[in-house]
Amino acid sequence: MEKLNLNKHISGQFNAELDGVLNQVLVMGGLVEQQLGDAITTVHEQDMDKARQIMANDAKVNALEMQIDEECTRIIAKRQPTASDLRLVLAIIKTINDLERIGDSARKIARMVLDNANKTQPPLVSMENMGRRTVKMLHESLDAFARMDVNAAIEVHKEDDKVDREYESIIRELMTFMMEDPRSIPQVLNVMGCARTLERVGDRVQHICEYIIYFVKGKDVRHTSEEDIYKMLDADR
Amino acid sequence: MINVSPTMNQDATLNVNALAAEQIALEVKDLSLYYGEKQALFNVDMKIARGQVTAFIGPSGCGKSTLLRCINRMNDLVESCRIDGQILLHNQNIYDKSVDVAALRRRVGMVFQRPNPFPKSIYENVVYGLRLQGINDRRRLDDAVERSLRGAALWDEVKDRLHDNAFGLSGGQQQRLVIARAIAIEPEVLLLDEPTSALDPISTLVIEELINTLKEQYTVVIVTHNMQQAARVSDHTAFMYMGELIEYSDTNTLFTTPSKKKTEDYITGRYG
Repeated sequence: MEKLNLNKHISGQFNAELDGVLNQVLVMGGLVEQQLGDAITTVHEQDMDKARQIMANDAKVNALEMQIDEECTRIIAKRQPTASDLRLVLAIIKTINDLERIGDSARKIARMVLDNANKTQPPLVSMENMGRRTVKMLHESLDAFARMDVNAAIEVHKEDDKVDREYESIIRELMTFMMEDPRSIPQVLNVMGCARTLERVGDRVQHICEYIIYFVKGKDVRHTSEEDIYKMLDADR
Repeated sequence: MINVSPTMNQDATLNVNALAAEQIALEVKDLSLYYGEKQALFNVDMKIARGQVTAFIGPSGCGKSTLLRCINRMNDLVESCRIDGQILLHNQNIYDKSVDVAALRRRVGMVFQRPNPFPKSIYENVVYGLRLQGINDRRRLDDAVERSLRGAALWDEVKDRLHDNAFGLSGGQQQRLVIARAIAIEPEVLLLDEPTSALDPISTLVIEELINTLKEQYTVVIVTHNMQQAARVSDHTAFMYMGELIEYSDTNTLFTTPSKKKTEDYITGRYG
């Protein structure tokens, strides 16, 4: 945190407010990470209790998002943050939006598990791999967020390519299932929905990495190819 | 990067460090200023864009007011003050011996922190500068009063009592009257030295709105302690510290992604 220079405001109250809201983001991130990890385990283990628990916990994620949003609104109204402070508040507001949506993904997966209880499932090994990878990416992006580490953020950002490739191969796999046994189509479509939602999680983690870069470097690297991101950041040095 | 929406990148944000000749109203060249032994400005170089609002910000004693006062040679009045370097207005150095200071100040008007109307009627306050120039034609003066008071967004409030004493106006109205007095003589540049620091928030907003309309006709340079004000009213912002110009760029950039650490620390309220 020292690198962030957050605690050097003349106003100690402002320091405390920024510190507090950052901590809440990390709490929210931790909760979402746990939700997503549990959701993937649930798919594998068909643990209905855990699935219901995930559904219930999503309300906590939503409440945290609203609470952090409110705190950010208050900071903007009272402190009129500028420069890096302003970028931090914006990065937080955007990050929690993506975190909340990742929370929704976990909920969606849990819901699918509950809806398909006691039905035969297509093998889900590749899906679990993909899920584990997105959880790891989320974990690392939150780590980079806590340290506001641009290099770590770029590393995580790159990982999304692998998720996209895994997604494509799962889709191919599932299509074979459907062709072999049309009766499996309803289940397969469900699994496909989950794979799709996990692929989106990868994109959202990428967004979080982009907000970290925006906060630290003041460069908006959304919708920018990896190569151009390097160019933009190099130009800064 | 793609420039999606032209409204987001308003044409107002000229690059101050690469202005074309016709966009420059004033050019400060290697200006250093000493009060006796003490140096107050260190080799300041800057170009001020025509028809735009430029703000000087910085902590107390950083030299921003001193720099502003140099632009119409107010520092001439300070006994021990010595100046090196140049300020060019239309390619002419205002510190050249041939320059008539009174004529310079007609071209570069100034408004101070506390409203300072003369103990005269509203009308006489506005025409004061014109009368000094020997203009006494009633119709010309009437026209100038209406034009200036409209320009200073005061006309509607005082048109029925132009011959009342100016001291009967509120602080915010007095400040707008002083601005009307400054623009009555149609200067090219208007210098505002903390024009709202003695005013309440609503009068402040009225003046800020006024500054925004003034730039259609005048080049405005404003010194302010209120950073949010600089962010709101100016097109370009110069951050000064200990007599040096630290960073000078368009206001949007300076307040979102300043390039110097000192600027960042100052505008975010950190100690360095």
